[in-house]
Amino acid sequence: MSRLISPLVLAILGLILFGDGAYIHAKAWLAQALLERAFDRSIATGQAVKPWSWADTWPVARVEVKRIGASAIVLEGSSGQALAFGPGHVDHTPEAGERGIAVYAAHRDTHFRFLRNVAIGDVIDVTRSDGQHFRYRADSSAVVRFDASGIEATAQGFELVLATCWPFDAVSSGPERYILHATLIEADR
Amino acid sequence: MSSYDTTDSDEHPLLRGLIKVGLFLLAQGIAVLLVAFVALLVSFGTGWSATTEQAGLLQPGEARSGSLLLKEDGATTEAIRLGTDIDITVSGPTLRARVTQVFRNPTKDWVEATYVYPLATNGAVDTLKMVVGDRVIVGDIKERQQARVIYEQARSAGQKAALTEQERPNIFTNSVTNIGPGETVLVQIEYQEPVHQSGNEYSLRLPLVVAPRYNPAPIVQSVDFRKDGSGWGATNSDPVPDRDRISPPVLDPAKAAPVNPTSITVRLKAGFALGEVKSHHHNVKIESPDASTRVVTLADGAVPADRDFELTWKPAAEKAPSVGLFREHVGDADYLLAFVTPPSAEQATQKPLPREVVFVIDNSGSMGGTSIVQAKASLLYALGRLQPNDRFNVIRFDDTMDVLFSASVPTDPAHLGEALGFVNGLQARGGTEMVPAMRAALTDKLADTNMVRQVVFLTDGAIGNEQQLFETITAMRGRSRIFMVGIGSAPNTYLMTRAAELGRGAFTHIGSVEQVEERMRGLFAKLENPAVTGLSAKFSDAKADITPAIIPDVYRDEPLVLAAKLDKLAGSLEIKGRVGDRPWSVTLPLQSAAEGKGLSKLWARRKIGDAEVARTLREMTPDDSDKAILALALDHQIVTRLTSLVAVDKTPSRPAGEPLRLSDLPINLPAGWDFEKVFGERPHLTPTQLRERHADARNLPATRRPTPAAQDAVRLPKTATSAELKMIAGLVLIVLALVLFVFSRRRPLLTDAA
Repeated sequence: MSRLISPLVLAILGLILFGDGAYIHAKAWLAQALLERAFDRSIATGQAVKPWSWADTWPVARVEVKRIGASAIVLEGSSGQALAFGPGHVDHTPEAGERGIAVYAAHRDTHFRFLRNVAIGDVIDVTRSDGQHFRYRADSSAVVRFDASGIEATAQGFELVLATCWPFDAVSSGPERYILHATLIEADR
Repeated sequence: MSSYDTTDSDEHPLLRGLIKVGLFLLAQGIAVLLVAFVALLVSFGTGWSATTEQAGLLQPGEARSGSLLLKEDGATTEAIRLGTDIDITVSGPTLRARVTQVFRNPTKDWVEATYVYPLATNGAVDTLKMVVGDRVIVGDIKERQQARVIYEQARSAGQKAALTEQERPNIFTNSVTNIGPGETVLVQIEYQEPVHQSGNEYSLRLPLVVAPRYNPAPIVQSVDFRKDGSGWGATNSDPVPDRDRISPPVLDPAKAAPVNPTSITVRLKAGFALGEVKSHHHNVKIESPDASTRVVTLADGAVPADRDFELTWKPAAEKAPSVGLFREHVGDADYLLAFVTPPSAEQATQKPLPREVVFVIDNSGSMGGTSIVQAKASLLYALGRLQPNDRFNVIRFDDTMDVLFSASVPTDPAHLGEALGFVNGLQARGGTEMVPAMRAALTDKLADTNMVRQVVFLTDGAIGNEQQLFETITAMRGRSRIFMVGIGSAPNTYLMTRAAELGRGAFTHIGSVEQVEERMRGLFAKLENPAVTGLSAKFSDAKADITPAIIPDVYRDEPLVLAAKLDKLAGSLEIKGRVGDRPWSVTLPLQSAAEGKGLSKLWARRKIGDAEVARTLREMTPDDSDKAILALALDHQIVTRLTSLVAVDKTPSRPAGEPLRLSDLPINLPAGWDFEKVFGERPHLTPTQLRERHADARNLPATRRPTPAAQDAVRLPKTATSAELKMIAGLVLIVLALVLFVFSRRRPLLTDAA
């Protein structure tokens, strides 16, 4: 019996750790499902709809890259809590489709895992919660430090930046960020 | 455990082991899912409810800080008191105003007071007097820096001093220093201004309060190079570098009684028999000493300075005189002021060209209250006046912008209906980013030269970056003509006049809903009728310096106003132009000019305006225009961007060692404005408001909008989770546990076998 104690303890520890990691993914996946529903209602009613009654954020846009079949619902704000559920619209940046650079950030291992597959020239579609639709084309990417992104939110053009952590396959978080820059090519208001 | 092992180990030991491992894995899987979902729910609950504050949205400190800080009750009751008396004498084509500001210090301290106040845009401020007790000290005109130095020296020497500086052609600052406890100091300034004429109606406009301005966050960077020519410099990215100087504290009308009581007297000597005399926004008493003279005073005594005073008068005769010629001899030169109203074109001779009209409406927070109602009513009236073959578009802006149609559309019921719905749904909120809207309006997408392109711009003009707007108009005006409609109780008249001048259009003011129809009708008469074009003026004998140098087109019912400096008063003035497609000319003999007052100042003021316009149009370098302005200002003793008036009482009054307290005098919110729309309210974080976050964000103080994003680059959030790491570590542990388990099962077997 005593010989089984150490493997059991190890197994439980492993279980908790694994579960802890798994719930991050479970949360990310479940939240997106709920968000998808809230976003559709948002478009239908024209009002911000919370994905669950006690939520503190709400979907503001859907970002899609049709070529690779990727899609995610973007939330207002980029606090750690919001990012757990979906890409966040970084505070103090304009809404997609407005003048300036709209910045969406998300985790590299959940919602923006697809970012590594987005090539320059790909079309990125953004549907805002007011139903307006904007089409961007990815035109450059860069790796920058989180505090020296070089992104001026008040830029003159109509631009979009998708940001996530770099490198994609690292297991610990570092100061580097991968940013994909795109410019508005079509607006359907 | 050992007995269990030994009993089972005889039969299918391996199978048993596998089943156990399988069961273990199954249990583990269920546990993982359970743990995951329990953790998920716990996380949803605690993680979210803990987020009681959203960073970046709630900044009550910011919302209530800075120059717009409300003084608490204690402070306001103990502050410097200001009273203003305005005395205006209208003599025919010009008026002279004397503005007396009474600074009373009820406190126990020595105080320096600054007061930001508006004056008429075309006014030439030429006199400053400071009255201390029974002494009158007359101010001198000096270069701005020099005047400031003189003033500051007097301040530190304990002498009373007054300084008048120009912040904008229609915003001035008076500073008075070393006002002793219990003392009263009078500061008097005087200015000269031409009377405005439009059609049959003459008018004067007396602004009484500087409306709070929206000062956009820096966007365009300019560079200040070091003077040593080393090539190094710093970027200067503020479109309103003097924002502090034009943002005096504003009192919340809900919390403080109105301040700055003002009394007004107008002595009207029209020079012709008067018909209707009307004050549009104040109750007045009108006395009539004779047919051509009126004395207008406020009926209720002093009023709070919170809206423009507007007085109009009409001649008793059916038609106002279409020509006026006035002269003044100053020094060795003669100055001439001419008003000529060209005849209106005959409609029948020419079918008007179809028009493309772009309406731009300002729905920023400063338009809240009555202004947005007036603006909407004006725009709805304008839409109703469009002809079937016209095309139109509508643009609305605050700190965001919407263009209703991607290009101008035909005036048909469907499009009109859509536009009416759009306009009716507008709400006033947010900042005033006027430049992008003007740019959109001037973008000539149709480029149809068979149509006349007109931009009708409805705004209160409450912005601090006028120059940026002027540059945009200059760069992009193309063939468009810009018509400004000034809305509200205290519009920025400087912006209206200069924008209309640069845009070769006209402007009008609407101060109340009752004025909408009359004023818009007048504006449409200008829009719908051909202008008088190709105007030129020539003196037969005299050598003349004429202003405006390039005579603008004149719209229906507007007079052409010319000022000139002449070497001798002889011969005649001939004005030529085209009314519609017909040539027109008029000749005025100079000998018949009547004596006028202060015409030299008006000429100089107009020349200074020309130099500023030339600078905007890049026809003059900044250095050249500054030189020209400085010379004119010093010559004619006028306050400008580059010159100030300063008066110093040589008798020291403040004993050495007594401290001096600075007091920025608060101003009223213009009448009809909505305080919360402009300065924002403290956001309440209730769920119902959360979904309107964008509205909240826009309601933050427009003039001091938090702009962290503009100054530094965006900081990117942390975007990696520890999920992978945890799962890998967890798996490693589980595998390790399995290995250990299997190993511990194997060992007895091995020993048994052995």
